[in-house]
Amino acid sequence: MKGRAAPALFLGIPTVFLVALFVLPLLSMLVLSVWRTENYHIIRDFNLHNYYVLATEGAYMTFLVRSLTMATAVSVICTLIAWPVAYGIMLYGGRYKLLFTLAFAVPFLTGEVLRIIALQGLLGPVGLLNGVLMALGAAPLRVIMYTNVASAIGLVYLYLPIVVTVIYLSLLNFDQRLIDAATIFGASPARAFFEVTWPLNLFGTLIGFALCFIPCLSATLAPRFLGGPNGTLYGMAMAQQFGESGTWALGAAMGVVLFAVSVLLVVIVAKTLDLRRTGFTGFGRG
Amino acid sequence: MTKSPCSSLDAAVPSATSLDRRSVLKTIAAGAATAVAMPYIRPASAAPTQLRALMWEVYAVPEIVAAFEEKHKIKFAPTFFDGNSEAYNKLRVGGTKDFDLVQADGFWPGLYFREKLIRAIDYAKIPNTANVFPVFKPDRFKLLTDQTTGAHFGVTWCWGSYGTTYNVAEVPKEKVQSIEVLFDPAFAGRLATSARFEENIALTGILVCTRMGTKDKPRPDGKPFNPYVLTDEELAEVEKLLIQQKPLLLTRYNDNNTLQQLLESGAIVAAPEFAQTYRVLVQKKAKGEIQADFAHQLTPKEGGLGWVDTWLVTSGVADGPTLDICHDFMNTFLAAPNMKKIAEVAGASTTIDIRSISTPEEQKLFLMDRTEELSTLYQFDQPSSTEKWERVWSRMQAA
Repeated sequence: MKGRAAPALFLGIPTVFLVALFVLPLLSMLVLSVWRTENYHIIRDFNLHNYYVLATEGAYMTFLVRSLTMATAVSVICTLIAWPVAYGIMLYGGRYKLLFTLAFAVPFLTGEVLRIIALQGLLGPVGLLNGVLMALGAAPLRVIMYTNVASAIGLVYLYLPIVVTVIYLSLLNFDQRLIDAATIFGASPARAFFEVTWPLNLFGTLIGFALCFIPCLSATLAPRFLGGPNGTLYGMAMAQQFGESGTWALGAAMGVVLFAVSVLLVVIVAKTLDLRRTGFTGFGRG
Repeated sequence: MTKSPCSSLDAAVPSATSLDRRSVLKTIAAGAATAVAMPYIRPASAAPTQLRALMWEVYAVPEIVAAFEEKHKIKFAPTFFDGNSEAYNKLRVGGTKDFDLVQADGFWPGLYFREKLIRAIDYAKIPNTANVFPVFKPDRFKLLTDQTTGAHFGVTWCWGSYGTTYNVAEVPKEKVQSIEVLFDPAFAGRLATSARFEENIALTGILVCTRMGTKDKPRPDGKPFNPYVLTDEELAEVEKLLIQQKPLLLTRYNDNNTLQQLLESGAIVAAPEFAQTYRVLVQKKAKGEIQADFAHQLTPKEGGLGWVDTWLVTSGVADGPTLDICHDFMNTFLAAPNMKKIAEVAGASTTIDIRSISTPEEQKLFLMDRTEELSTLYQFDQPSSTEKWERVWSRMQAA
């Protein structure tokens, strides 16, 4: 009895949690997306007009393409930075490994809004960076003031700690003796890295990439405060529908599309890769 | 079948015991439920323990709030919002039960009253309403009076425009007298506007209708020109103009602090705003903290946007002690010394005449002798079609 109850309990609670806080809101979003709004009033008649608008109005497609491009660029940059950092901590961290890893979590002790506003102060026209440049007699760097570059810097700043932590945890569980074995059998350090370390930590890398990519896709604050007139991304446009414009039904449809795109991307990655060769150990021995 | 008294009694005893147990359980359950619900179920005649307000954060001056709380032994519980549409959404999804007081500006109070989100109030219980400038008296300012019944449903509070604050050394005065200055390539990269889509479209709408010559012609709805009610042709022109404006903008600011930094640093030279940043900059200049001179164009020659913030009582408030507290809250906040403090903190002009307790500099800074200009401004309103306006804004953002 005890043996039967434990799995039901341990799987049941997360299932109830997911259904109540994820599936039901998603379903309500789906329902709202097939209604319509008229001057801040929800009209409950079934129609697919919102999806028609999303498909035919180029603006929303532009926002989505911008967001996909931004999320890809930011995730790639984060991964490229995170790998050497995590690997460095792994190799040279010594007894301070845990401390280094925890240090990456320090920014999370403050809210996202605070971090973005702090960054706005850093990159803005009277920010530290431009302040120093102007004090030295140089022109301020306009490329980091209210541009997509500024948004990208903000997003890298926000999500880099997550990617570093995930890759570090992957490396922590990686058997270092495999590298020794490879080098003993004559592999150069580079070859050992690309043929042993990288592939066997690919799953951890993908998780880190996804944990950066998905929130970037729906990012609202960074483009709003750092992006400037040309920096509107999909998440910001979606938030606008639920805010001042009060076009909730269209916003719900945008949310459904975003969810579908995210799921599609995950499925494509899962289909493309053989998870058994990526260091994923969740399949068991079978 | 014959029932003996004994058997009857025997049968009744367990039944009675069972009923007693149920009764006890029911009583306990009812008692527990009552105990849990008691804080939320108060008779209408009971004195309220808290006053809940949906308001702009800048007006919650701690000193005034604390004095009011002390006077009534009540807790003031504010919830803050950014714009009218946000407050409207909150009220429509049950907010009339969650809030006693709400703030709004322009035409929004009238909309709230028509939709029964707010209720009528009694000016006789708010004697400080008598101290408003003439332009805000009910006979001239009609946005807070139901034209059918004559009932008043709000008190005026602070007012302002969406004029242009500019760097005097960088922008010639003759240019800033027109909305055209915000679309002038001569200031490319040195302009900013707010992130509010309604006011961006409405202000551009005034310029577009002036250029098209439709502003002073009979309108399709038969009413006087209102920049929040634009035809499809006018909206299309607004969209084109906003797209042309994009490369000229450094950013669309989200808060007054950012705007202040942008103007102070010289990164931008002009921006439309509610004159709050202008007042901060003038005061900094007076203290010698900044070098640049700033001025504020209240009304452009094509016409400008204006707003009058108001306090309203939600329809969830019944006659009785809570309404009395609401009346006194409004009266307290409208007292001249309190309005002066609020003006200083919020950087807003007051609808209450506080000239007798203000210096000549303050009178000039807070436009106390220019209240009559309000009647020339188009009041903030709900867009004629939020859906169409949203498309215009999205297409501009994507362009």
